[in-house]
Amino acid sequence: MPAIRNQIRELRALREITQQELADKIGVTRQTVIAMEQDKYSPSLETAFKVAMVLGVSLEQCFQYDPRGKR
Amino acid sequence: MLKNLSYRERTLYASLAAELVVYGPYFFLHQQNSVNNLAGVIVAIILLQIIVQSVIAAVTRNRVTDERDRLIELRGYRAGYLTLASLMVLGLGMLWFHVAVGHHHLDSRMAGLHFLSVFFGMLIIADITKTATQIVAYWKAL
Repeated sequence: MPAIRNQIRELRALREITQQELADKIGVTRQTVIAMEQDKYSPSLETAFKVAMVLGVSLEQCFQYDPRGKR
Repeated sequence: MLKNLSYRERTLYASLAAELVVYGPYFFLHQQNSVNNLAGVIVAIILLQIIVQSVIAAVTRNRVTDERDRLIELRGYRAGYLTLASLMVLGLGMLWFHVAVGHHHLDSRMAGLHFLSVFFGMLIIADITKTATQIVAYWKAL
């Protein structure tokens, strides 16, 4: 289980935003959005804030930290 | 498959292909390497890289690179540096050994050319390691 998990995929589906649209809005590649959704890449704090802002939720609603998870 | 690759990934695959196409024959086919061959290989890799990277840039509309690309790039440079440093230590150790046991005389022209070729090879191995590490990092979706 990764240390930082997120709800990007669910929130994105709820708002009917494609991976490419989200990537364009936060200034990353679509491959980075895919990696974040698969919990394989933990974004920087700045990108995390941008993701939460675009998805219209707070940072805590979008990203969760599990201290027992693998880094 | 090509459509799913980012701009950075495409350039990395192209770089690796160019490196293997130019350096492969140089190291595996040439028995007698010379300074002219070495210079030719360096010119060939520079020209091939310019052509290939220009083609990729021309056919790729979205050329965005981001923080993950930079992180992966740094990992590649770290792997390349560690490889180069290890090979240098190994190479210098072997050089010291050969000189100590009298296999080589450092003033010989052929020995100089031989060591030039060996150290050039180390540089190439480190460069290929750097590129390959980045490709693996993209595979693992890091």
